[in-house]
Amino acid sequence: MKRLFRNRFAIVGLLLVTMEVFLAVFASVITPYEPNVMDYKALLQNPNTEHLLGTDELGRDILTRMMYGARLSLTVGTTAVLIAVCLGVPFGLISGYVGGVFDEIMMRVVDSIMALPALVLALTISAVLGSGLVNATIAIAVVTAPTYTRLVRGQVLAIKQNDYVVAAQSIGAPTWRVLVRHLLPNTLSPVIVQASLGIGFAIILESSMSFIGLGAMPPTPSWGNMVQIGFQFLEIAPWCVLAPATAIFLAVLGFNMLGDGLRDALDPQSGT
Amino acid sequence: MTQYLIKRCLSTIPVMLLTTVIVFGLMRLLPGDPILLLVEGAQTEISDETIARLRTMHGLDEPIYVQYTIWLKNMLSGDLGWSFQTNQRVWDIIRGRILPTVQIGLLGWIMAIILGIPLGLLAATSPGSWRDWLSTAGSLIGAAMPYFLIGGLLIYVVALRLRWLPASGFVSPFDNPVESLKASIMPAITLGIGLAAIVMRQTRSSFLEVLQQGYIRTARAKGLSRHKVIISHAFKNAILPVVTILGIELGALFSGAVITETIFAVPGIGRLLVDSILARDYPTIQAVVLFITLAVVVANLLVDIAYSVLDPRIRQSVSYG
Repeated sequence: MKRLFRNRFAIVGLLLVTMEVFLAVFASVITPYEPNVMDYKALLQNPNTEHLLGTDELGRDILTRMMYGARLSLTVGTTAVLIAVCLGVPFGLISGYVGGVFDEIMMRVVDSIMALPALVLALTISAVLGSGLVNATIAIAVVTAPTYTRLVRGQVLAIKQNDYVVAAQSIGAPTWRVLVRHLLPNTLSPVIVQASLGIGFAIILESSMSFIGLGAMPPTPSWGNMVQIGFQFLEIAPWCVLAPATAIFLAVLGFNMLGDGLRDALDPQSGT
Repeated sequence: MTQYLIKRCLSTIPVMLLTTVIVFGLMRLLPGDPILLLVEGAQTEISDETIARLRTMHGLDEPIYVQYTIWLKNMLSGDLGWSFQTNQRVWDIIRGRILPTVQIGLLGWIMAIILGIPLGLLAATSPGSWRDWLSTAGSLIGAAMPYFLIGGLLIYVVALRLRWLPASGFVSPFDNPVESLKASIMPAITLGIGLAAIVMRQTRSSFLEVLQQGYIRTARAKGLSRHKVIISHAFKNAILPVVTILGIELGALFSGAVITETIFAVPGIGRLLVDSILARDYPTIQAVVLFITLAVVVANLLVDIAYSVLDPRIRQSVSYG
């Protein structure tokens, strides 16, 4: 923790993430407006004292919708990463430990999935499952799980010949115990780092999918669909695009800085 | 070298085969009957017999592994099927969309190299200085900026306010090279900034590591200028991880093209994928996804070949077995 707090970029990242979580959790308390309530007397208003970031084409307060959008992005981001970790880590553990043909097949499958660009694969999976947030979350999780498989497999290959692992095997410890008690805890540091970076990546994927029309559907306040609709009014009301796009940027920046700081703190030798 | 090339080419075959299985499998999971989608919008009523005949004609009454084999054979012989939406051959549609994507992608890639490598080198040669700090901050910011923000800012400031460049569209370089370049600059910048940030960061990291090596200290001790040490000794070793990153990020460039082409209304492969997904044009979806994957695999292969040209250790390790 001390190493983390000595890193100025990591502190900025932590502050950004904390601010986002705070706004998402307390949105209904902070803002007097509802995210979906329309005000036809206040269409496409400039930022002013009543609406700090202006209003959209239906008179809805943009700042309010951004805060509720933060709730959605954080939920999708963390859920997708959790599912990806639950999918990817066990396969990586088993693949690295067992080795042989299973490992070869596993790695070829992982290579094939990773050969497809992430957004392209996520969109295709969404086309299969249908649009909507739940399906977008599943698509993002499936696309990012192979990263954790590869990461954990690499770690397991590096540590499975260590004395404590060999000792556990030699006293007859069952395979599941070696995997869960000895190997898994020693692979967690890079997984935590990757998860932090992964949340930022998941936010980008979710907003891209909503932008295209395969993620959150209107009137759900998602940063991606706010940007998509906002582009129609870019010339007369640029805040409709720039405000939610900046929110995405700050969220991703925060998680990236935090992830980098965690990497430096947990593995100083990796050096960024 | 030839041995390395052959080995590398052969290693892509199982990956591509598995990818075709994944894409085929995903397409078969898509909701809706493809034959019913095919005859949707027909002007006369289609009888059940005709539908059954169409199903046989397209091999859809065969077992799934037979369908896959037929589909793969057709793909390999260049028959990518017919679009449900436009009734054109899918290959003809894709062929018309390649140039815009290649143009903005290549420009973005070149921009990332021109911007990222010198800035990374500048940061690495003055570690701890304000230049280094600025470079690190710049790379974090550049890597986090979504395409919507860069594209939105560029369109608003450069196209709508200053009226220097067109806000959207594509002009073929064969029709009008100048207008083509003007229309491609903003999409290329949008694509290139994120990649430039990653390249800058990797360049800084690689050069920092290489500049601490003993042979660099020896070269400086011999009295060689800093400039000569960097160009003649450090550059070739430090650039190798940067080449790797440029290859790895090619896939991300295609992902970026999907969003960038939508923002700037560029009629490329990325936009074709979006349009075909929204229209549930299944033959086009699977052909475009496969095409993109093949393009990424081939591009990675070329990068690996470039890597082996730059690093003789790669060629020699293959020769020695």
